[in-house]
Amino acid sequence: MIKWILIIVLIAVIMLIAYSVSEQYKDKYDFYNNLKMFLNQFKINISFRQEKINNFLNSITPKRQFKCFIEEYKKYLSSGELNLDNVKVLEDEDKAILNDIVKNIGKYDAKNEVQQLDTFLLTVDSKLSKALQDKNKLCPMIIKLALLFAIGLSILLI
Amino acid sequence: MLKDYLDRELYNTIIKTFCFNDITEIRMRANENLIVVVKNKKFYLKDNQGEFIKVNTNLIENFIKKASENSIYAFNDSIVNGYITLPKGIRVGLCGNIVTDDDKIVTIKEFQAINIRIPHFIKNCSLPAFDFIVNGEEIKNTLIISPPGAGKTTFIRDLVYQLNQHNIPKNILIADERNEICSVVNGEPNVNLGGFCDVYSNCSKKFAFKNGIRSMRPDVIVTDEIDLERDLEYIIEAINSGVNVIATIHAKDLNQLKKKKNFDTILEEKFFSRFVVLSSDEGPGTLCGVYDEKLNCIYCR
Repeated sequence: MIKWILIIVLIAVIMLIAYSVSEQYKDKYDFYNNLKMFLNQFKINISFRQEKINNFLNSITPKRQFKCFIEEYKKYLSSGELNLDNVKVLEDEDKAILNDIVKNIGKYDAKNEVQQLDTFLLTVDSKLSKALQDKNKLCPMIIKLALLFAIGLSILLI
Repeated sequence: MLKDYLDRELYNTIIKTFCFNDITEIRMRANENLIVVVKNKKFYLKDNQGEFIKVNTNLIENFIKKASENSIYAFNDSIVNGYITLPKGIRVGLCGNIVTDDDKIVTIKEFQAINIRIPHFIKNCSLPAFDFIVNGEEIKNTLIISPPGAGKTTFIRDLVYQLNQHNIPKNILIADERNEICSVVNGEPNVNLGGFCDVYSNCSKKFAFKNGIRSMRPDVIVTDEIDLERDLEYIIEAINSGVNVIATIHAKDLNQLKKKKNFDTILEEKFFSRFVVLSSDEGPGTLCGVYDEKLNCIYCR
């Protein structure tokens, strides 16, 4: 009886680990999706309302990892230093892109700002489609592999 | 106020060296010594080691970044006119590389110099001229003349205050194109000018004169730094509509003013019945003379 319970626990733990690993890909996709929406909203803000960046950042309600990014952005506006270590889903390449975005937004007049945002949006779009590809491909694969591994291990243990 | 925008160390040095209330200007020019203007005298600022503080482009850029709250686009309308206005009416004049598109100024970049002008509310500074401008409840159309930095804005700010203090029940519309007279932030003026004032801030004179007359029904329009070529049409329209105008203009004296385009029209049609000349001889706002509509002197220092 205990043996069966241990096997079920083992399968559950393996599946949990697999789920949390696959979640990172979902988080990354969500992050870039939010970033794209953020940049688009910012474009609208610049074209019509021209709210200052700080007011604009306060007017949005970000979630999860993107919230960490917005918090860091706000800190950057007052201190001038950007630290993206808290945003866990980002790799070094992503951080470099965000660094560019944060440090360049707000430096130009509205027309040039929109052009600049369009350029950033192209980069974000390519990162988003890569994140979507990873999410669609790797998430189910990780779950399936974990399940197979858990079943295999269980058979060996039995 | 300025401590939110200036480099902290620099701000501390300035307030250690000078009485902040006496400072009228802080000038920063790239690769040159920083200059502080106190009571019309220029001083090079020294650091703790006694060395002159040299300005670099980073210092200027960081100041503008903070002044625009990291949002240049939100201030671009004012940047193309060469300035940013900070709360409390502090005006930051900007110099740099002017970007144009089809002869239209798009923005300024690569800032080379800034001039931070700190306004002062000197109570009663307009009193020596008050009786020449106001007769009972009648307010005369008045043009205040002085070179830059000689206290025109301070003078009209106090004149409006005095009109309210003397309980002259006139609706005063302030066309504050550079948000210097009242320095309105979030709908609240930073300077209390009394209960009869309506303020259009950061708007063109065209809008203030044309729409203000229709919508706010002013008895007097007060405005700063008119351009006789650009603004005369609106001023004439206001005066012909029965609204009094008190305005300021840049000129060293009446002789210089006479050389300005359209001034002949003003004299011929007697649009202004008082010309008040100010100078900075004994500090900004020194009253040099008051003249009537034919430019006869009715008060001379």
